[in-house]
Amino acid sequence: MSAVIETRKLSKWYGNVLGLSDVSLRVEPGITGLLGPNGAGKSTFLKLVTGQLKPSIGRVLIDGQAVRNNTALFGRVGFCPEYDAFYERVTGRQFLTAMLRLCGFDPAETTARAEAALDLVELRADQDRPVRSYSRGMRQRLKFAQAVAHDPDIIILDEPLNGLDPLGKRKVIRLIRDYRTEGRTIIVSSHVLPEIEALTKEIILIHQGKILATGDIHKVRDLIDTHPHIVSITCDRPRDLALRFLKEDDVLSVNFGAAPRTVVVETGNRDRFFGRLPGLLVELGISVEEITSPDDNLQAVFDYLVGK
Amino acid sequence: MSAASSAPRLSFLQSCGRVFSIFFAFGRRSPRFKLYFVLSQMPVVIALFAQVNQVFQRQGMQSPMLFFSRGIMSFDLQFLVLLLVLFYGTSICLEEVEGRTLMYLTTRPVPKAAVILGKYAAYVLFLAVMINVGVILAFLVLNIRSLGTGAAYPVLFQFMGVLTLAILAYTAFFTLLGTLSKRALALGLMFSFGWEAVVQYFPGATQRFTIAHYLKSLLPSQTATGGLSFLTYRLEPTAPLLAVAVLLLLTVVFLAAACLVFTHKDFILSTD
Amino acid sequence: MIRDRGYFHWDGAFVERRLPWWPITRQGLRLAFKMKLFKFFFAGSLLPGVVFLAGVYISERLEDFKSMVRGGRVLFLTINPAFFKTYYTIDFLMMALVVLMLFSGAGLIADDLKHNALQLYFARPIRKRDYFLGKAGVLWFFLLILTLVPGLLFILFKLVFSGSFALLRSYPWLPLSVLAESLVLTVFFSLYTLLLSSLSANRRYVSIMIFGVYIFTDVLFGIFYGLVRSPYVALVSIKANLQQVASFLFGQAPAYAVSWVYSILILAAICVASVLVLNRRIKGVTVVR
Repeated sequence: MSAVIETRKLSKWYGNVLGLSDVSLRVEPGITGLLGPNGAGKSTFLKLVTGQLKPSIGRVLIDGQAVRNNTALFGRVGFCPEYDAFYERVTGRQFLTAMLRLCGFDPAETTARAEAALDLVELRADQDRPVRSYSRGMRQRLKFAQAVAHDPDIIILDEPLNGLDPLGKRKVIRLIRDYRTEGRTIIVSSHVLPEIEALTKEIILIHQGKILATGDIHKVRDLIDTHPHIVSITCDRPRDLALRFLKEDDVLSVNFGAAPRTVVVETGNRDRFFGRLPGLLVELGISVEEITSPDDNLQAVFDYLVGK
Repeated sequence: MSAASSAPRLSFLQSCGRVFSIFFAFGRRSPRFKLYFVLSQMPVVIALFAQVNQVFQRQGMQSPMLFFSRGIMSFDLQFLVLLLVLFYGTSICLEEVEGRTLMYLTTRPVPKAAVILGKYAAYVLFLAVMINVGVILAFLVLNIRSLGTGAAYPVLFQFMGVLTLAILAYTAFFTLLGTLSKRALALGLMFSFGWEAVVQYFPGATQRFTIAHYLKSLLPSQTATGGLSFLTYRLEPTAPLLAVAVLLLLTVVFLAAACLVFTHKDFILSTD
Repeated sequence: MIRDRGYFHWDGAFVERRLPWWPITRQGLRLAFKMKLFKFFFAGSLLPGVVFLAGVYISERLEDFKSMVRGGRVLFLTINPAFFKTYYTIDFLMMALVVLMLFSGAGLIADDLKHNALQLYFARPIRKRDYFLGKAGVLWFFLLILTLVPGLLFILFKLVFSGSFALLRSYPWLPLSVLAESLVLTVFFSLYTLLLSSLSANRRYVSIMIFGVYIFTDVLFGIFYGLVRSPYVALVSIKANLQQVASFLFGQAPAYAVSWVYSILILAAICVASVLVLNRRIKGVTVVR
């Protein structure tokens, strides 16, 4: 699949402060999670991708075209910013209508699209109230609505779940997943890892302006040789299992977990370990309740890469 | 293909038109517009005061047109227009930056220059309506006894034209200031009530480095004579047609520069 | 046990002495001095004080400055109440005060309204009065530096340079006049600025109003005076009212033939209106419909 968004040696300085350093990557259709702590450079990256900032070095391309001041591209891009800012005295409907008129739609289509977007984010009942009277969650939903109302095929969402209650988050997550099935390209940034895990396995990890890793979360985990994989097994005879593991040369350490009847193993070769595990269990006649990989998740990957 | 790519591509003029209509609608609803509209009717209050004063003195005003040109027009040109235009002109860019709504405009398929020009047109229209309504009403109040003759109307239209040119030129200048600096208001105050006020006292070509000089060249003026004449403002007027051309040229140059700066500058919005 | 929680106000007793308004003032001063343009204007506003202080020096060295004395009376070099009244009423100083209020005061309350910070203030154990004092403290700092400090320095340096107490023997009420005039200017300008700052969440708009209202009243006075030639029209102008009060406090003939009592009443009315409006506008919670 050809990349929709491509960056080549992208860097951005704010005076002497490095916001982004030497970022070269390709984003393909689907959902890509942009992860990093606060101040990592996520918003800088997204602003460069949407042409709001000029790169200090490098290029940003959408379908092979440079982004900066390329108004032809902006009709295909929807951007939901992180910060909470609106034209406060207009109503939600007036705000959406204005944004749609700037996209070039005629009045009839503008009205229809605005109503559809308001329905999508469940703000129809409050459409004629001024934005300054909206709650935090309503404002966040309105921001999302203005990003998608013109049906863009590239959607850039900077912390879209901020300020939403759990129900609201679930709804937005479902909406984003629906957009993926329609073949759109979506970049979602967040510093809350479970939110990204709920959306996608394709991630870009960023820290202190540098890209730490890109790709499928599990494949990235496998590539981290410096940190052995941890496997936790809850069974009826943990000590017998632990004794047997000690004979395996790819097992680096064996501990007993805090939970009862749990043995926690560190292995340097996850695939080999899981390949042999069923045979071992059958050989010993051990009854297993649960097998988990506590560090095969985004948090662990991030912690390992950042060096915590 | 998404529906967005099937939306008609707007021409540059159409983009300006869309921006104009949006910000005209937004600005019309603003409480600030209503307050400024009321303030811009101060010339009417002054004119009413003058007429009431004449009633109590039991004599007609000797020269309503002289009071109109010296009093009302000076008040408008040297104070009211400057203050209102300073706010609206700097707001074209700065209100988007301070309110952090800039990205809503710069991530739409409209050229950035169209944003500047569309907002400029909307705010100039506000200012022209506000100020000229006040001038017309003040004129009518002052000339209430001679409205039928029609002799003074050409002068009114002349003054309205000068005020409109003032609005065009100053708004363009402050628009440029607003794109260049976040301290545009302070710089604008120094320019309006410092530079423009002081340099007019300098003789020769120095006066030509102010916008006010060209505006006053289009109005009837009187040079002071006598011992203290060196202390008073002394206009060495530019020919009217040339003054109009310079004002329009300055407007175009300032606007073009503002569009250029706005298109290429990185605006870092505060994240607090 | 799950407690039923809601909003509650601090009702404990304070055991130590506190200046709750001081952190607000300190923060306001820090923010003001962060602006380069403000520092430039602040330095410039000290100019009249420096010039008049030079005048105090020259007044004691008249022999050495004979060229300045040529031609008779030299009002500027006679240190008497008129000298002080001149300092407190010159246009440059008045304008400097307005510009300083614009820079240091426009955003004092406007920025809090813009960022919904009032809730943060009043969630701490401070009262409205502490909030106002804290904000006003920022303005008082700058106003007193330009009013009280120069006035006292003029007196002090005159005493030092002349080596006698002649000035105070001739005008024993002079220090009180300096104090009173400084208080009038400080209280008026601080309340004027805070009033306008509380009316909008847009700092630029407030800046325009601070400058515009002051100039506007003076321009209006000029126009009306040209029409009616009545001294009572001076009551329209903030600057003229302040000049009238200064003339009274320093025992000088007023510029306009209208009683200073009217001027002080007008200034007091503006201050009272300011307090009332501030009290209404500053709330911990705002309901937007």
